[in-house]
Amino acid sequence: MTALSDREQLTSLANQAADSRVNLEFETEGMTLNMGPQHPATHGTLRILVKLDGEQVISADPMPGYMHRGYEKLCEVRTYPQVTTLVNRIDWLGSFANEVPWILAAEKLMGIEAPPRAQYIRTILFELSRMANVSLFLGDLGIQLGGITVGFYAFRDREHVLNQIEAVTGGRFHPNFDRIGGLKDDLPKGWIAETKKAMEKMRAFCDEVEDLLFGNEIFQKRTRGIGLIPPHVAQSYGLSGANIRGSGVDWDLRRDACPPGLVYDKADWKVWTHPDCDSFSRSWIRLQETREATKIVDQLLDSIPSGPIMAKVPRIIKVPEGEAYVATENPLGEMGYYLVSKGDLNPFRVKIRSASFNNVSIVPWVCKGVYVPDVITILASLYFILGDIDR
Amino acid sequence: MPPKFEKPQVPGMIKGLGVTFKEMVNTLKPDSKGGGPVTVSYPREREEPAPRARGVIALYEENCTACMLCSRECPDWCIYIEAHKYLAPPRREGGKPRAKNALDRFSIDFSLCMYCGICVEVCPFEALYWSPEYEFSEFNIKDLLHDKERLGEWFETVPAFEPYEAGSEQKVKKVPG
Repeated sequence: MTALSDREQLTSLANQAADSRVNLEFETEGMTLNMGPQHPATHGTLRILVKLDGEQVISADPMPGYMHRGYEKLCEVRTYPQVTTLVNRIDWLGSFANEVPWILAAEKLMGIEAPPRAQYIRTILFELSRMANVSLFLGDLGIQLGGITVGFYAFRDREHVLNQIEAVTGGRFHPNFDRIGGLKDDLPKGWIAETKKAMEKMRAFCDEVEDLLFGNEIFQKRTRGIGLIPPHVAQSYGLSGANIRGSGVDWDLRRDACPPGLVYDKADWKVWTHPDCDSFSRSWIRLQETREATKIVDQLLDSIPSGPIMAKVPRIIKVPEGEAYVATENPLGEMGYYLVSKGDLNPFRVKIRSASFNNVSIVPWVCKGVYVPDVITILASLYFILGDIDR
Repeated sequence: MPPKFEKPQVPGMIKGLGVTFKEMVNTLKPDSKGGGPVTVSYPREREEPAPRARGVIALYEENCTACMLCSRECPDWCIYIEAHKYLAPPRREGGKPRAKNALDRFSIDFSLCMYCGICVEVCPFEALYWSPEYEFSEFNIKDLLHDKERLGEWFETVPAFEPYEAGSEQKVKKVPG
């Protein structure tokens, strides 16, 4: 870890230089640049107030809130099954993954466990939505760096996954398929074989991206050594998901704290970490995660048990009094719901812990002292989704 | 520790150009290995969505008893139902006349609908179905309020339910009529 501490020292030196920077030669003042709310590098309506000295960033201030929809409050006036369809819209690219922690939190309070078949299908769909989300990240990363081809390939190959999600849930983006105590419906005939074909295509897509983007010298020059986040800083800012694994912290909720209701322990897979802490390592981790997700899906498809898909659940769902926090490893990181129930039809209070809000909170720290084009790289590699920040 | 990233033998940019060239050749002619164009020119050709796709809600009016469950469960309350009671003639001779509900109005406002499918799921009499049709955009937002005649027309496009994958214990439902 000596290389890392050297880099850490360099980073802190660069930060100090940026802090004390006064342009004595020209006695110029800094320039304020508004990136957003509609900047293409921000995946939505995040506004970043960047103060510049020439080409260098003195400070970057993200201003979320342009897309705030008040989900925590909306959840309080809706019944438990109705909330499922709302929380789909938090992270709209991997929407099935948003439902799962909500359902698991409600199941934890009610003391219900879904039948094994439902748990398997739930995990498979969870990983499919991870693939749909992360494959778009890989394409988007190329678009941010000027390689539009990868973007087109990503949109093309994401369609294979979305078609599988649509065939079983009926919705490409908003499945609304998870229910308290099980699933809405069972798999249609021929789905398992089709999904295996789609997984082959996703693996081919990962190889393609590796050749096209990750092997490209320009891409490596623009991402390696850029946006360094040392592990202790990543931990103190509460990063999660691929961002913290890209900083070399071996932490994955799927393996370390898998809540009951998901069957990740039944498959053989690996958590990837990368010690480089830069934009490249974060992107590379996501590429490897897509590959691991195809492996998980393949293994689980082979071993789906037969049986019912719904546990015995009352027709009118009332969650008993109590509190529960359930977090899962979503495509963007740790997503959790803190659910307080007073025994009514509606939840009393819901706190949504979404990954992107914490991931974007490191932007002021990491963007200090970098050059303007690197801000784009860093934002793209942190990978946030605006619905996930603002909720 | 992840494997060390080896420096590619071929320069990465040339390798990338090889990938794009391969894709270009691949999309020229349709073949059995998934070649050919990946898009369809929409107004002339159509992609068929999956049979379960949630396109538009269809109403089978005969089954509806105006119980208002769908209207209550809807997360954004976009289903409007009005009904009245009437006395139907008895089934057998000498029996009592039966009190029945007749639908006056059943409208779904598709400009509000989130296509979540809760109404279809909660309907105890199986009067609501999903149709995978998706071409019902309008110039005026008022026209997205589909009344019961329009919803009844969608019913003709409802596909049969698919059989389930092996190992399932679900029963395949049937579309009436």
